[in-house]
Amino acid sequence: MKRPWAEQGALLAVLCVAATSQAGSEKESLLPKIDGWKISDGPTGYTPETLFEYIDGGADAFLQFDFEDLTAATYTRDDLRRGKNRPGHDATAPTKAEISVDIYRHKNAVRAFGMYTQERAAGTTSLPIGIEGHAGADHLQFVVGRLYVKLVQMGPKDPPLLRQFAEKLAASLPGTREAPAVLKAFPERGKRVRAEKFAARDFLGQSFLHDAVAVPYEVEGASFRLFVVEGKDSADVSTMVKRYRAIGKSDGGANSEGAATVKDPLNGGVALRWKGRWLWGAVDHPCPERQSLLDELGQRVAALER
Amino acid sequence: MNKVERRDFLRLGMGGIAAGALSAGCATMASSQERKTLSPAATPAPQPAPAAPAAMEPPRRILGRTGIKVPTVSMGVMNADNPNLVRAALDGGILLLDTAHGYQDGRNEEMLGTVLRDRKRDAFVLETKVFVSTLDRKTGLFSKDTRGEEIEEKLDISLKRLGLDHVDILYLHAQSAREGVHHESICKALEKAKRDGKARAIGVSTHKNEPEVIRAAVEAKLYDVVLTSYNFRQDHHLQVQQAIAEAAQAGLGIVAMKTQAGVFWDKEKTSPINMKAALKWALRDPNVHTAIPGFSTLEQLQTDLEVLRNPTLIEDEKRSLEAPKVVGFFCQGCDQCLEPCLQKLPIPELMRSFMYAHAYRNRQAAQSLLLELGLPEFPCDDCDTCAVRCAKGFDVRQRVRDIARLRAVPREFLI
Repeated sequence: MKRPWAEQGALLAVLCVAATSQAGSEKESLLPKIDGWKISDGPTGYTPETLFEYIDGGADAFLQFDFEDLTAATYTRDDLRRGKNRPGHDATAPTKAEISVDIYRHKNAVRAFGMYTQERAAGTTSLPIGIEGHAGADHLQFVVGRLYVKLVQMGPKDPPLLRQFAEKLAASLPGTREAPAVLKAFPERGKRVRAEKFAARDFLGQSFLHDAVAVPYEVEGASFRLFVVEGKDSADVSTMVKRYRAIGKSDGGANSEGAATVKDPLNGGVALRWKGRWLWGAVDHPCPERQSLLDELGQRVAALER
Repeated sequence: MNKVERRDFLRLGMGGIAAGALSAGCATMASSQERKTLSPAATPAPQPAPAAPAAMEPPRRILGRTGIKVPTVSMGVMNADNPNLVRAALDGGILLLDTAHGYQDGRNEEMLGTVLRDRKRDAFVLETKVFVSTLDRKTGLFSKDTRGEEIEEKLDISLKRLGLDHVDILYLHAQSAREGVHHESICKALEKAKRDGKARAIGVSTHKNEPEVIRAAVEAKLYDVVLTSYNFRQDHHLQVQQAIAEAAQAGLGIVAMKTQAGVFWDKEKTSPINMKAALKWALRDPNVHTAIPGFSTLEQLQTDLEVLRNPTLIEDEKRSLEAPKVVGFFCQGCDQCLEPCLQKLPIPELMRSFMYAHAYRNRQAAQSLLLELGLPEFPCDDCDTCAVRCAKGFDVRQRVRDIARLRAVPREFLI
């Protein structure tokens, strides 16, 4: 009896991933045909082993966020007519344009969004492209599903054209357009806009704290951060709590559920709360406002489970 | 972190490194006498570094003609987004911080800025790198439209992020060919940055074709420092070592990076490299003035500070840097597996197919061979235990089960 094809899927996936580079067709599937544009260079693929050849020491941060592969290419067009078929109707703009496209694929959408937050300046204006995007004069970045996309316009700057290109590219890419659910847990009051940062590992400089997101707050002159850590399960969170409490003076109750303050040699007094697979807390500048928001955060974390 | 917490950190985390010992005044220009005493050794072969003195002061070396005196262990900041970790590193005795214009799209430099604004300017050494966008990474050559001004523009942005009026070392980032290192407009821009006081010293960084780049930096008579990959796993580490010696002889400062050699021995990240030993290996070379291991946790910082205090590579550590014994892929065809196998499987041929698939990555050849063997549908499934003991140590049953599945994969998917 032949095993059904579906059962061979795992093997097939292993074989495909294990290949030295992706098949050309896979790369191109992330690089759609966009009207008026052609791919003038690439696609070129990079793996976790070769990413440093492309972005040097910057590769380490991507690897921390479970980077899987990168597809890089350059799109060009030379048929732009001034004032007509280009956004913004800029009569002085050149007729040629070139955009480099880097598509970083991560293990999942949370990791891709996490890497995006690492490279996003706090308070930057967000663009409704994919889950979220932001742009400068000659570059635009966005995240969609488990893909983190970085565009750079070579030569003369033309932000409207770059944005139009990004929207077309994003529309063709697979994956969720929803931000990670954990962000909903953070209260809005005092929250610094678009300043949340994810940490896949080594959160707060501690090797045992993983899968965290921290959000800075400014309330009545006090600056502090609230954070949420999503453990694999309650045992995972218990282990994190136990190890954290072991490194500094700590008060509080049992490791399975409760609250404590850890005197962290790196980060000062850290307020911790935990229940089930969630660990949340606050760091920097204790104050009544921080306490109030921490309580609210706890209620919202509980709602994530429902 | 307030003062009390810093004391706690030192007590809890550092175990005796005195922060004050290395604070203000460390980054002073060394005297000419000191420079003479550090003149590179005639022989390039690494010498064991002298054991650290019992005193609290960790060893420092002079960064070539820059005269900047730095502890042998510095911090690669690219993995750290926690300013408190950088503060702890500085308090623990680290002086030189390495970042780049492009790390985390500038967020890394911004984070460092929040730390450095509270420090005296002579209490740290800051180096950053600027990548020129017209560099073809494949060839290492700059395109015709390369503008040296890009360096100045990016450096100005970096200085703003860092909150500094100058960096101590400015590197031309990621060079891999002589021509790139000698590019006229780039060289002029780097010289201008130094002349304008925006960089005390200029350098070049490389992690590909390092010997060529290092020698090009010497020839250019422009650069003060080279930042190079250097680790025990490089196949060409002897060539890198020789080029480093020549550069040090010519008066260049040498900063080593990627000393941790990938952190793990294996792709699956199950077998970690001895980080302490790997760092010590690089620092054995007296021509390496400092190394910039990246770290993002308190434990890693502690490990690096232990190396800073005692860089001597002991025998056990040396042995730990020998590659783990691997079973490998090659079947020697001794046929001792054939008799014990109850299924009478053609094991040597199956091992050969396994080698084609996983070592040569030629899955088509592996499948062709498999299809010739007339195997049962599910080989090995009928035996509770495997009686075969391979002379090479292969896990025969696991390999047979793994490779046999390749028969069912459509040919067009085999790449």
